[in-house]
Amino acid sequence: MIRPLQFITLVGVLSIGILLIGLAPGSAAPSLQEATPTPIPNLSISDDYCLSCHGQPGQTFPLEDGSELDLYVDPEEHANSIHGSQGYACVQCHADVGEYPHPPFSAANRREATITLNNVCQRCHASQHTQAMDSVHAQALAEGNREAAVCSDCHTAHAVQDWVDEETGETLPSMRPVIPQTCAKCHSAIYETYLTSVHGSALTDQSNPDVPTCIDCHGVHNIEDPTTAAFRLQSPRICAECHTDPAVMSKYGISTDVLDTYVADFHGTTVMIFEQQSPDAETNKPVCYDCHGIHDIKRADDPEKGLQVKENLLATCQKCHPDAQENFPTAWLSHYIPSPDKYPLVYYVNLFYKFLIPTVLAGMGILVVMDFSRRMINLRKSRQPAPHMGEEPPTPESGHKTGLIEEFQSQIEEEITLEDESSGTDQPSQSAAETGEEVDHG
Amino acid sequence: MSEQMEKNAVQKSAVQTHKMFMRFNLGQRWEHMLLLISFTVLLLTGLPQKYRAATWSQQILSTPERVELIQTIHHIFAVVLILEVIYHLGKAIILMARRRLPGDIFVSWQDIRDAGQMVAYLLFLRKEKPIFGKYSFEEKVTYWFIFIGIGIMLVSGIILWFPEVVTRVLSGGVIPAAKLAHSTEAVVAGIFIVLWHFYHVHLQRLNLSIFNGSISEDDMKTYHALEYEQLMAGQAGKSGEEQP
Repeated sequence: MIRPLQFITLVGVLSIGILLIGLAPGSAAPSLQEATPTPIPNLSISDDYCLSCHGQPGQTFPLEDGSELDLYVDPEEHANSIHGSQGYACVQCHADVGEYPHPPFSAANRREATITLNNVCQRCHASQHTQAMDSVHAQALAEGNREAAVCSDCHTAHAVQDWVDEETGETLPSMRPVIPQTCAKCHSAIYETYLTSVHGSALTDQSNPDVPTCIDCHGVHNIEDPTTAAFRLQSPRICAECHTDPAVMSKYGISTDVLDTYVADFHGTTVMIFEQQSPDAETNKPVCYDCHGIHDIKRADDPEKGLQVKENLLATCQKCHPDAQENFPTAWLSHYIPSPDKYPLVYYVNLFYKFLIPTVLAGMGILVVMDFSRRMINLRKSRQPAPHMGEEPPTPESGHKTGLIEEFQSQIEEEITLEDESSGTDQPSQSAAETGEEVDHG
Repeated sequence: MSEQMEKNAVQKSAVQTHKMFMRFNLGQRWEHMLLLISFTVLLLTGLPQKYRAATWSQQILSTPERVELIQTIHHIFAVVLILEVIYHLGKAIILMARRRLPGDIFVSWQDIRDAGQMVAYLLFLRKEKPIFGKYSFEEKVTYWFIFIGIGIMLVSGIILWFPEVVTRVLSGGVIPAAKLAHSTEAVVAGIFIVLWHFYHVHLQRLNLSIFNGSISEDDMKTYHALEYEQLMAGQAGKSGEEQP
């Protein structure tokens, strides 16, 4: 850096200047985030100082709509939270509050106060914030639904818990059951349905580590709108993530061919093409959840909803094929790969063509090649002066003259001379016949 | 077209030019055109649907509207082909019932012998090719291979078109079986046409008789010697009678 300065030229100074400007934000930003989570936290203000007032229940603040904002913070709760246990101070989030008396604060109501105060999270958790800004929640908020979830609605304000195992990056097993409960704060009806599903019941009853919680399908911070055409077209991949994993599926004896067999059939192929070629296309072709259910997914042998039960499958088909009758559902291979036991007809048709195609290809190919080469050989022979080998001349003109044909040819020549002499006046009608059209009337 | 008329045609043309023989009448030529067009369109609209995993196919079938359009075109030309088949079979049955259709196209033991002799010729075990009648065994192979192929395509295609109706009678398993048969038979037929039919009518010699209806005397002697012989024999008899 200093070296160029020793050769003071205009260009040198300019380039260093540009270089420094270019470096400044990049080098400064990470260190700022690591060392000081908030821009200007006055760390001399201790938590005890804050809690001397806010640790007392009953502290409230009047808002514009006349409601009261509760200012009480449970000291225990904060101490046990991930922030408290790692020694983060109140002022690191509430950086702009300072000492008492605090600067003026106002909000239209309690919800607006929450939304405003949530802006502090992004100072440390920038990537999660960015993701959340793409979510269906942020979208709803922007569209005016002020109830749409912000950070503290899921994470709480002062009791923020650790969700993720830092080493593996996986959700902590102890937190998995908490996830649906968290979403249930707003999506309670879906939660009730989920609890009855094969996934939800295994999570709550057996703390099963393999079943999906809400976030495994919907994502965490960048939760997508699941009602869009794009989500629908992508959805088979969500299911396939677990259902094509042999390590997981072998535990439960579930086939991992489900995606391949789906894609091999009418519905799946079309859905997969649209997913790749026109991801926003609306299609009525079924995806996994159209048959298996969404939050109410049941075991395949469930008597009420399971698709292994014939009546249930028929009812499912009839949703799109109202004219379907008893035999119709077996048109769907039920994720089986045809074999002599399962769908023998399909299996044997396949087998038949496995033999027919090579036979046709090879048989015809060989005959054509042989015919072609014999012709070439004949052609070469005829070009060489070989009077004794003229049994197969190349041109049709002189080709294949058997004795019989020669005999007929001479016979016809005779006839022609005879007819030419006798029927010279028939010329016009004969030329009409030559076109061949007249003959068709017969 | 009756044999009688054919003979008359041959007689007249032979007298005039000694060159062209009637081979296919206008109806037959139109049938071939319909077959050619419907077969091509069906293949072109069907192959993208078969090879859905391929990128080129996915680019064609990229939106629901396009899939629907391609399927509609496929269905329209399927109807054209069905009508052609009905016409072809109906006409053949009526003519046969009136004993006005010579059974030249049916396979006989002679065809098996011809095929054997042809293979022997190609293997240099014979010096001469076998001689053929109106339809050589190669042409009969073409006709019957396509005949059976179209039969499979029509049956399986209709099953795929109306699965709800078909499964009222048949088991559901026929639908995936029909899908497999339909898409595979199409490829078999496509290969067959390109390899066998194109070779015989384009490469071996350019045979346009199915378009212009007629065949030269030279080709007649070379490729349909038996038929030529019979026609000449018949004509010889007639000419003899007609002589004053």
